[in-house]
Amino acid sequence: MVFANWRWPRIFLVGPLVFLSTFLTVCGASVYLPAGPARIDNVAIPLVLFPAIWALLFFYSYLDSRLIRAYTVVLLVLGANLALVLLHISGGSQ
Amino acid sequence: MIRLQKDTAKDLIGLHGWMGVALGLLLYVVILTGTLAVFEQELATWANPLPEPVPTAFPKGIGPVLNDIYQRNDPAYGDEVFVFPAADGRLRALFHTHIESDEGHGVEKGVLALIDPTTLTVVDEREGEVEALFHESSSTVLTDFLVDLHVRLLLPGQWGLLLTGILGFAMLAAAVTGFVIHRHLFKDMFTLRKRGDSVLTARDAHVVAGTWNLPFAFMLAFTGAFFSFGGAIGLPAIAYVAFGGDVDTVTEEVLTPPIPTDESPAPLYDLEAIFDDARQRTGLELTGLQILHWGRADASVQMSMQTAEGKLLPDHLLYQGATGEFLGVKPSLGQEPSLGGDLAGLMSPLHFGNFAGLLSKIVWFAFGFASAYVTLSGLRLWTARRRDAPGWAWLEKLTGWVGYGLPAGLALTAAIFLTAGTELSLVFFAAAGLLALPAFWLESDRYSSLNRYLLAVLLLLLPLVRWLSGGPLGWSTLPGVLAVDLVFLLAGCGCLLSIRRKPVTPETLRLAESV
Repeated sequence: MVFANWRWPRIFLVGPLVFLSTFLTVCGASVYLPAGPARIDNVAIPLVLFPAIWALLFFYSYLDSRLIRAYTVVLLVLGANLALVLLHISGGSQ
Repeated sequence: MIRLQKDTAKDLIGLHGWMGVALGLLLYVVILTGTLAVFEQELATWANPLPEPVPTAFPKGIGPVLNDIYQRNDPAYGDEVFVFPAADGRLRALFHTHIESDEGHGVEKGVLALIDPTTLTVVDEREGEVEALFHESSSTVLTDFLVDLHVRLLLPGQWGLLLTGILGFAMLAAAVTGFVIHRHLFKDMFTLRKRGDSVLTARDAHVVAGTWNLPFAFMLAFTGAFFSFGGAIGLPAIAYVAFGGDVDTVTEEVLTPPIPTDESPAPLYDLEAIFDDARQRTGLELTGLQILHWGRADASVQMSMQTAEGKLLPDHLLYQGATGEFLGVKPSLGQEPSLGGDLAGLMSPLHFGNFAGLLSKIVWFAFGFASAYVTLSGLRLWTARRRDAPGWAWLEKLTGWVGYGLPAGLALTAAIFLTAGTELSLVFFAAAGLLALPAFWLESDRYSSLNRYLLAVLLLLLPLVRWLSGGPLGWSTLPGVLAVDLVFLLAGCGCLLSIRRKPVTPETLRLAESV
């Protein structure tokens, strides 16, 4: 039972942390995806995939029996995309 | 058959149930109002019909009417012009520009005109800030309220979109877990033991409706979450990152027609001639119109056309405004066809079910109704099993209040609006409060039955109220309005019949949930 122990850390992971991670993943995707001929692919595709990415991270973090591993994966996704977004914004504003 | 480890299956069943209990009632409100909103046009026409049916959204002769509105107002409002049909068939024409307010922030100011397409007369015209204009001037107050309840749960600003976005994610999780936890999915789809034990019948009805509805529930949840979160925070944030912070300039560059800037004055070409050319090229009628820079040499006229047979997305025709020259066909989003534009464009027909006329709307309504039934029956099964446990009795009454009180409250709101035309939010909250009162002295089953009786009576009375408040009666003039009357009468009779059937007892539900 994934909720047998560590109930609140698990709820924090599958709730706010997964959402923040999803949000940063779609923002990050807009940096590395090509804009395409209409120059909107890098915005529209991550936006459409938002619910799918959330569902993937949500079920993984809910069902992984090892909480530490689930935290590591979700935080890695979050950190990598946050770094990408910050680098892009700071580079773009210079 | 889906094989899961015992612990995983137990976790997923727990998630499915708790997700439903935590957010089920709010989800039910969103699903039920969304199901009704599938027929937004029909309901808007029923509540406030035009004297005769409108054959096309943009009838011949609309060009000079728009030209008159432009001529008698501030020419600056010709900067951006949007003309689109309201849900009841009347045309809304917004002429506006972007200015800086006294407080220093950007606002949209202009004129909003309401046009009767059957007589080509302007029935209402107001000037002011655009956001306020749409609240002040509406011929579709009843359905605007219904859509606002569905999209924002009547919450202000972005908060409503955020909440319905969370509900979309909850529904997505419930649909996925609902799919995975069925050990015998195909068997469950066809197992309805009508003549057997009533305990099993109650559970089977929930499971059958749920299993058949799974793909649809998944699609609605996916597209709903896209619209709510996309509109509230997704699009602004992604656009900010993608375009390095300079969203306005790049948005304009990407979305506005590729006509070189030329601010010198030039009259707009004959609009009727442009409309006729668009009709001739496509064989279709107009559904929307956008004119940029009216009165300038770089003016553009862009029209949305009806969706062609066999296509899911409509085409948009672009013309040079000053010369009437045809510039080409544009996709719904962006200047050229693209994967991202097509994917984003698909979200709309998939969510609203309006891609194949009345037929697709009926299908979307049926599946939406099934989703609402699954949510409500799931909650009833869950709460009935736990009614003796401390703290659960209130949820059972709350389920009866929202489950049957919400449609009854909506019907009462519609009836009061038709007769008195008052502020709808106030009426709705007063009706909801009134319907909640009997819950304090009636036990839960009797309270639910009372709400169902009220709903049935109100549905049966709605056509009469509409007629007494001055609505049309003849079938030959407005068959659509009378068809909606008929649906209300049938729904009221159906509701009465369902109450007269042998009721499902709490003991039945308790046993069913534990099967």
